[in-house]
Amino acid sequence: MQIKIEKVKDLTIVNIMEKRLDAKQAISFREKILELVESGNKLIVLDFKEIDFIDSSGLGAIVSVLKMVGREGKLVLSGIKETVMSTFSRTKMDKVFIISKNIEEAIDKF
Amino acid sequence: MKKENNPKNIKFTILSEKQNVELIGLSINKLCSYSGLNEKACYDIELCTVEAINNCIEHAYRNQSDRKIEVNLNLYTNKVAIEVIDLGFFHENFKPVANDFDTKNIEYVPEGGMGLQLIFQIMDVIDYKRVNQSNILTMEKIFP
Repeated sequence: MQIKIEKVKDLTIVNIMEKRLDAKQAISFREKILELVESGNKLIVLDFKEIDFIDSSGLGAIVSVLKMVGREGKLVLSGIKETVMSTFSRTKMDKVFIISKNIEEAIDKF
Repeated sequence: MKKENNPKNIKFTILSEKQNVELIGLSINKLCSYSGLNEKACYDIELCTVEAINNCIEHAYRNQSDRKIEVNLNLYTNKVAIEVIDLGFFHENFKPVANDFDTKNIEYVPEGGMGLQLIFQIMDVIDYKRVNQSNILTMEKIFP
């Protein structure tokens, strides 16, 4: 799982540099974000613009990240493609997460 | 499965490793696209196939990576039918869990159990049975 991290003031922007967030990637993704959270980064934007496909394991991993960030932090998802978004909607995850169209809009949510 | 309209058929066989799942997912998406289905329909069919194979790996084979999974894709003029076959443990309670959690209460948001939910929402026909030593999941998506 390749990610690229960018800091904007106290925000951590995580670009997911993969086409798929699936069962193969979910554990590694969760571990990488856990490292970030444990080192004090709790205001996180996850940028999905490269992601073409997500399965239920990928969704589960993002829910897990949301729980790690907890109520003292904030997680915003950005750049989710329409097809990928349908997986969020079907599982009600579109109601669970704060979702923005792009990075600029995501930064405005903090 | 009733053979009607003389479907185009292709059979895939993989070992039960997670890295192999995307190969079938991508192939099925492309084949559905080639058959004229729109991007959303192709994505949905890929998703259900991936979820079904993940279930075989995690539940039927309990993450053993050296077992066989067979996927048959049948493209009819009016529907797509997919069979996913494994030789592992039978899933006794093959139905989706209720999706009635409180979306505002993070602690209760589920991290699992969404695969069958997606399959049951997307597919029009779902049949899961054990025949001899094989578990056979048949999923059909009928074209609107």
